Amino acid sequence: MSDKKQQVSRRQFLNYTLTGVGGFMAAGLLVSPLRMAIDPVLKDSASGELVNVGISVDDITDVPTRIDWTVEQVDGWYKSEPSRSAWVYKDGNGDIVALSPICTHLGCVVSWEGSDAHPDHFYCPCHDGLYTKDGVNVPGTPPLAPLPTFEQEIRDGMLFLGNTIDREGA
Amino acid sequence: MRWQKSDVDKYVSAKEYIDTLIIPLIDFQMDQDLENNAFQNEVLTILSNELEKELTGRIMLAPSYYYIKTFDKDQEIVRLNHWVENVKKQPFKHIFLLSFDPAWKKSEQALDASFVWIPKIQSGDIGSKEMQHTIREQVKQIGELIRSYW
Repeated sequence: MSDKKQQVSRRQFLNYTLTGVGGFMAAGLLVSPLRMAIDPVLKDSASGELVNVGISVDDITDVPTRIDWTVEQVDGWYKSEPSRSAWVYKDGNGDIVALSPICTHLGCVVSWEGSDAHPDHFYCPCHDGLYTKDGVNVPGTPPLAPLPTFEQEIRDGMLFLGNTIDREGA
Repeated sequence: MRWQKSDVDKYVSAKEYIDTLIIPLIDFQMDQDLENNAFQNEVLTILSNELEKELTGRIMLAPSYYYIKTFDKDQEIVRLNHWVENVKKQPFKHIFLLSFDPAWKKSEQALDASFVWIPKIQSGDIGSKEMQHTIREQVKQIGELIRSYW
């Protein structure tokens, strides 16, 4: 009796085979849409990455210097390489300071000692905004917040910069 | 500031700080010199955008003014002055017209805005380092010129 139960009939065998093969085909079809659906999760975010800005730590002095670099950015369909800039220098302790050159007032580009009347300051040409060397806004000038700093890291003696970090107003 | 909603919102709330308008004048003509024409269009557009980036908190970049190169300049001047008259009401104190076309220079007196002629960049690869450098240099100098009016 038990022997008979073990038997697989021709109909059952065909059923199993067809289900098996069909299952494989369905799984094959499902893989790509599934991969596409979860794809954004697998991708690392490009914006948070630190980028080599092309200046070695030894070349940075205590005088702020402007450096420019590009980052790759994807906005929907539009892929671009916007340029970024920073003012970098070494402070009294030899630590590297990287400041965003974008004025916190209305977004003009500030420059170190950009005005002869204000040595030792960052100067915004648009509305005479002033910042001290550490990027803190001088009260009484239009900007209400200090210049943002950058996420930074030193790898193999090269400076890597990432996103800007906003700071509280003075 | 650019002529797009997010920037215009900012402009409306900070009107007293933004007193300068820039209009790029770009000639458009389909003749034998198509490539060069397109190239000049590209260069002036990039140049104006860079200039806007540098002084964004005080200038508004207007949409470019396109014109047919061989068309009667006197009529163009009348039309262009309508633009100027219209934007002056905002008010904009300083209005600059940027162009590679020296033909405007001769009629400068008839324009109600400051005309800035920029020497043409004849040819080159728009993405190259040298071109970026040239454009950056020009932007710096035009920026200085504009700042001398402030």
